[in-house]
Order: sequence, then structure tokens, then C-alpha cells
Amino acid sequence: MTVTGLIGRICMFPLRLIINTCVALRIHPNILTFVGLLINVLAAFELARGHFIRAGLIIIAANIFDFIDGKVATELDAVSAFGGFWDSVIDRFSDIALFLGLIYLYSHLGRTDYVMITAIAMMFAIMTSYTRARAESLIKKCKVGFMERPERIVLFMIGAFTNRMAAVMWVIGVLSVFTVADRIIYTYRELRSSEQVIV
Amino acid sequence: MKNPVSLPMRVLWNGFFWTYERATWQYDVMVIAILAFVWLTPPSWLGDPMASGSGPVGWLLRLLIAD
Repeated sequence: MTVTGLIGRICMFPLRLIINTCVALRIHPNILTFVGLLINVLAAFELARGHFIRAGLIIIAANIFDFIDGKVATELDAVSAFGGFWDSVIDRFSDIALFLGLIYLYSHLGRTDYVMITAIAMMFAIMTSYTRARAESLIKKCKVGFMERPERIVLFMIGAFTNRMAAVMWVIGVLSVFTVADRIIYTYRELRSSEQVIV
Repeated sequence: MKNPVSLPMRVLWNGFFWTYERATWQYDVMVIAILAFVWLTPPSWLGDPMASGSGPVGWLLRLLIAD
């Protein structure tokens, strides 16, 4: 087993408990998704105020909701097409909220350079999701590239808890650019090969 | 036939054009590289608006030297 696989298994124990509680209380997964967004907005406020540790703790709480909504939906037999759509849309709002919190902080500190770096990281984080969604309307699957949402969120937590948010913005920015490029290249190749098959 | 692309170039290309799943050894290597960059790069090199000093590694070294 890999190190990241082991960490994932260990984290599943407390999450299992929360999932079981939500299932027992029959909380609708769409509500869990929305509560996750509200908590993320709270985290964004803390980021904007420069309270990184507090923001990190709130991001953990928010992402527990974000992680369990799909599992609760499956166990309550409440999986729906709208639920998937709702989850994706709310995820984008949550992403943008966190980046906006940092943009506010850096602009308040008069650091235009980091306002731009964070804005570029935000733009490519959103484009990462958009390129996959658009590609999968044309091809079967487009799951290439490293920097997806779980990686971004874990990096936000690491940046917050160890006060290394600037380095994290560089990593998210650069790897999101790569991820978007990967998805464009992959989609181009897939479409070209399918066109060749038809011809 | 011998592969004309050298190993370092292949490693670079596979790092850029990422197709590996999570919980693979390639994923672990990438995570270690990212964490090394985040924690080992001194904040002053990046002009970090919120952090200064040598970070957790420096703190650990100071702790070891003090003992």
C-alpha cells in the first residue's frame, strides 16, 4: 500500500461514523452540500483576516460535508442527476470563495504580485473543472492532470496550518496550468483518433 | 527498436502529462516533491506576504541543535 493510500484509509474511520449518523438522521445530501459551502465562506473570511490556523480548521469541517454528501446520497438511495449537478456547482463556489479570501488579504496588504498569482491560480482551478466537463460532453472520460479539487483542498489546509500559503498558491497555479493543458491535449488526441476511425 | 526518447525527458513528460491514479507510487513521489517545495523553500525567496524565516525545517533543526 502507498503512503497516500494509507492516510486515506485512516481518515475513513471518523468519516464513516459521520456518514452513518447523517444516514440515521436521514439528512438530504443536497443540504449537506450547501452547508459545506456556507462553512467554506466562513473559512474565506478567516483567510481574508489572515487567521490561517482558524481557516484551516474550518476548511476541514467544510470538506467533511463536501466529502460525505455523495456517500450519504448513495446510502439513502437519493442519488440523482440534479444532485451531481448541484454538487459540482456548489464546489466551484466553495473554491472561488477560498481564493477570494486570499485575494482580499493580499490586496489589503498591498501585495499586487500575490493578488495576481492567486487570481491566476483561481482562474486555472476553475478552468480545470470546465475543461473536464466540456471534454466529457465530447469524449467518454477526461481524467488526466494532477491538480484536481481534492489536491487543491489538501494544499489549502497545508498552507493554512504551516503558514505557507504563498508557496501553495504557486503550486496550485503552476500545476493547474499543466492540468488544463493536459486536458486540452488529451481531448484533442481522443477526438482526432475517433475521427480517424470514422474516416 | 531502441526508444529514442531519453529517460529524463520521459520522466519530465510523464510529470507534465499526468495520467496516474491516486495511491500509486508516482502519486506519492509527486506529493513528496510538492511538500518539499512548500516546506523547504524559504518564504523570503517567494516574497511570502505572511511568512518569514526558515519554516518548520528550520524550527526542527534549531530544536535538534539546542538539544
